[in-house]
Amino acid sequence: MRIAIPKGRLQSDVLGTFASAGYDVPTESDLRTRKLVFHRGGIEWIFVKDCDVPVYVEHGAADAGIAGLDQILEHECTAYQALELPYGRCRMMLIGAPGAPPLVNNAKIATKYPRVARHWLDSRAIHAELVPLGGSVELAAVLGLTSHVIDLVETGETVRVHKLELRECIAEVTPRLIVSKSFFRTNNAEVRRLIARLQQSIEQSIGETVNESIIA
Amino acid sequence: MATKFRYPTGTRPLLIEETARRRRIESRFVTLLEEAGFAEVVLPIIDFAEPYAGISGRSAKQSYRFTDRDGELVAVRSDFTPMVARALAPSLDDDNLPLRVFYRGDVIRCEATRLGVNRELFQIGAELVGDASPEADLEMLQLAATIATVFCDDPLVVYTGGPRIDDPRFVQHEEESDAGYYTGVRFWVYGDDRRTPLAQGGRYDSLYERFGASAPAIGFTFTVDGLDELAAGSSQLAGEPRGELAGGRSQLTGEPRGVSPESCELRAES
Repeated sequence: MRIAIPKGRLQSDVLGTFASAGYDVPTESDLRTRKLVFHRGGIEWIFVKDCDVPVYVEHGAADAGIAGLDQILEHECTAYQALELPYGRCRMMLIGAPGAPPLVNNAKIATKYPRVARHWLDSRAIHAELVPLGGSVELAAVLGLTSHVIDLVETGETVRVHKLELRECIAEVTPRLIVSKSFFRTNNAEVRRLIARLQQSIEQSIGETVNESIIA
Repeated sequence: MATKFRYPTGTRPLLIEETARRRRIESRFVTLLEEAGFAEVVLPIIDFAEPYAGISGRSAKQSYRFTDRDGELVAVRSDFTPMVARALAPSLDDDNLPLRVFYRGDVIRCEATRLGVNRELFQIGAELVGDASPEADLEMLQLAATIATVFCDDPLVVYTGGPRIDDPRFVQHEEESDAGYYTGVRFWVYGDDRRTPLAQGGRYDSLYERFGASAPAIGFTFTVDGLDELAAGSSQLAGEPRGELAGGRSQLTGEPRGVSPESCELRAES
């Protein structure tokens, strides 16, 4: 089985979940070698940019992977979403520039998620011009490139610092285990084992967090 | 002229060698299907969109549509099954059922998100119309598996619903997914790599009704482009339009390609 792990923000949490589920995951020192493919414990671990995980899994180049709902939706990924992970939660939100008017027709919206944004705007029957950006999307509203942005909000710190205004939640975003449909059909028992082991590991970690908070 | 040196995404010509290969594969299919008692039908490449309105399934969303000179909305063929139903429905009666037909040709799908997936696909499929029995299910599943055996060593048929089949090549499995127009058994035929289905099919007992005939039907469709690639020993991702030099040269010279490791490299290069 080939599993795609998202590099960056979620990487260590995700590897932790697999490790506590008993999987032999690549170690820190493995990862420092800059290799992107590791064979361990009968699994081929591949490390790809978070937004590419759904692409690999959709095409069957990876059998399973961890991807945020934002990227799953943006790629219209049809892989099975088998599990939600209990960390990395955030919200995809409509954010206004300081003092921006309510979203009306012909507004300009900067986003990394043009497809999700278009669907959402269509559902609201709002015609808006999307300005696709690669990153630091909030800056578009700060600098007046656009009146609004659609982006992920985790703690809300960036929004506060720039005095931007949270307007509306478009989607609750969580990282998910996704599994290629073909792999699920042809290796069903293996996939079910993977899901069960991760599920157990997640439940344990939630249990521990609860315990810690009780003690605290 | 930015389009001078390329083709629309997901489309490409087949030159001499690949065409010969395509025709060989086709004739294997035709022989097998005719031996199994299926007769060929030919369907138009375009049709009005209106008769198909509201049929669930992915094809409608993915079809190329345009308005013809009379102002009618027309769609380029993107799924054979509803077209077969529309074509056969008016002439179905108790005397000619059950009916076994097969078809072959291109479908064109606008799969915007699926990079590297062909948009023009050559498909060959078969339909058994007018028999709702588990034996009909079994017949079609086994026929699909038999055909797959020609193109790979160890095919696997994964199916949901339908009769229990005591054969290691068949795996019954539960799956909840958008069933589209399917109403009963659904199945996918996988080749040795188990990654992309060579064929898929299922039972659709209410599809013919909308075209004026109440006949149950079950069918499957092989995508022949996939078989091409499988026989060539390359991965599914090699379906991307290739560089002209790498693909073109070997095709034009008729250098044997497909089974030799060299030709895989040629493909991988591009």
